Amino acid sequence: MELTVNSVARTVQSPPLSSLLTVLREELDITSPKAGCESGGCGACTVLVDGQPRRSCLTAVCAVDGAEVTTVEGLGTPEDLSRVQQAFIHHYAAQCGFCTDGLIVAATAYVGGGGSADTGDIGEALAGHYCRCTGYVKILEAVAAVARGDTFDTASTASSANNTYVTIAGAES
Amino acid sequence: MKVVGARLPRYDGVGHVTGRTTYVDDVRVPGMLHAAALRSVHHNARITRLDTGAAAAMAGVHAVVTHADVPLLVYGHLSGAGIPGDEPLLAKDHVRYRGQPIALVAADTVDIARAACAAIEVDYEELPALFDVRLGFDGDAPVINDTFGNWYDQYEGNLDVRQIRKGDIDAAMDAADLIVSGVYRTQSVEQVPLETQVCVAIPEPDGRLTIHTCTQAMYFSLGVVCSHLQLPMSQVKMVGGTVGGGFGGKVDTASDTLTALAAQKSGQPVKWRWTREEEMLASGNRGPWHMEIIDAVTSDGWILGRKMLTIHDAGAYGRFSVYGLTKHSFHHTGAYSIPNLHFDGYVVFTNKIPTTAMRGYGVTGLSTAIEVHAERVAKELGMDPYEFRLKNANRVNDTSPNRIAYEDPSTVEVLQSLAAATGVELGDGLRAMTREQRSGDMLPDHLVAQIGSGGGH
Ligand code: FES
Ligand code: FES
Repeated sequence: MELTVNSVARTVQSPPLSSLLTVLREELDITSPKAGCESGGCGACTVLVDGQPRRSCLTAVCAVDGAEVTTVEGLGTPEDLSRVQQAFIHHYAAQCGFCTDGLIVAATAYVGGGGSADTGDIGEALAGHYCRCTGYVKILEAVAAVARGDTFDTASTASSANNTYVTIAGAES
Repeated sequence: MKVVGARLPRYDGVGHVTGRTTYVDDVRVPGMLHAAALRSVHHNARITRLDTGAAAAMAGVHAVVTHADVPLLVYGHLSGAGIPGDEPLLAKDHVRYRGQPIALVAADTVDIARAACAAIEVDYEELPALFDVRLGFDGDAPVINDTFGNWYDQYEGNLDVRQIRKGDIDAAMDAADLIVSGVYRTQSVEQVPLETQVCVAIPEPDGRLTIHTCTQAMYFSLGVVCSHLQLPMSQVKMVGGTVGGGFGGKVDTASDTLTALAAQKSGQPVKWRWTREEEMLASGNRGPWHMEIIDAVTSDGWILGRKMLTIHDAGAYGRFSVYGLTKHSFHHTGAYSIPNLHFDGYVVFTNKIPTTAMRGYGVTGLSTAIEVHAERVAKELGMDPYEFRLKNANRVNDTSPNRIAYEDPSTVEVLQSLAAATGVELGDGLRAMTREQRSGDMLPDHLVAQIGSGGGH
């Protein structure tokens, strides 16, 4: 079987019913798709197949023979981050990072398809992606910022305007 | 200060967004074997026969590890604190919860390892299981824990109960205008980190072991591994720090020791990655808590005393539960100042997964109980719940159940922030309250004697 993975042509030797996740991770050593559940439940294994987000753990590799597969490694590099990647840093949307690769892939497809900055729409598009660390708010903010066309400074983080603090007497010093 | 108060980007952010962060499952080592575990299918059973011969003889199988391979089979999570160990690393002749590991197989592929686990022959004699902590005290309940019985019985002073006594609870109950009691039970919660338990162990040519670990508690885990393996710490190098979520569930060193044993026995690098099902079935979770609270209160909203009984469902083995219960006992007044206390707490064993830390070990379920109870008391008094909470909220030099004077309690400000954030208008008197040491109206007679002096930790 032949795949184009992150713009590079690859020949796959694994058995045809191997999951795309196993092929990427174990045969091709592309480790950004994560095995969070291997049963379609968490979204951590999400990759783009011909531009569409797919759960690679549920995708038999023979079913995508000839396809173009993109993982987060193919979206940007540390020197040249994509806007979604920048937004995830700036908005603090990655904590442990284990869900991040799948979310960035799915968010990239969402904004690439003209998705709006409405957090309800974003939530629907990213439904089924579990994140146990962030509480999702910062992920929604990051994707909305990309959809709005914001620019990002990855040397700082966004401040949350909605935080309400009571000043504690004596704590200023 | 350049850092305090500044909003700095994560140092690992770029790695996280580009797929470059190396989690344990991403570690690549030539010649790596894959492991799978045989786990108990019963909640409580004697193992009458364990035969690994057929599994070990299968093509592609390089090691089958059982209890006989563990240099020190029983080592307690709190051994360092003088609490005896009760849990074997691998079950020997008795399984006490469903999912308890019995053997680990290392093979060329995970499929072969799983097939070999299925080929291990185990005969069980099933025994009645106990799931409800309240039944653990019954005389005819099955005995769950060989070391401690049905509840932990080795507190200081030979007590089988964690006790706190402070002030005079009987006087407080007598003086009360109202007594409000409630029973609160929280359920078990799995931490569900997106990264399941995973370990890569590599036998080095010089005889040492390198262990890539997902632990949240590196030096603790190093101690656990070295104790079970009876190795000096100089022989084990643990590599960690990148954890795909833990939330307390990765302090138990659940996979490192067994993976290391399989690597030693096979002489090859071994990876053991738990399935999601295993993680749900067998990884330590937050245990259930059964809490009974009786508060003595006055009609103007002071809490004079609290009587409390806690039964912590530890699961089948002790692990950190005594620590969790002790912490729970120190916090059983929550963020409020209550001078007269009578607390009894038990760690009770059941045929469930041994429980462990999760985000506020011993305290999270307790906070739920305390706050629901506070709401009920205020309602029965016909008092604004904010006023009730703010009056009783800890002030500087109020003392905790274990008699430590609070140096900088923030409850007053937290409550005021909460009101502001949720659009609740507090009256002037409540808005003007501060954490400062009690005086005037905020220092009723019953709180005078408990005032301590700062510097406690
Ligand atoms: S690993 Fe594919 S959805 Fe969880
Ligand atoms: S950042 Fe940890 S699961 Fe999302």
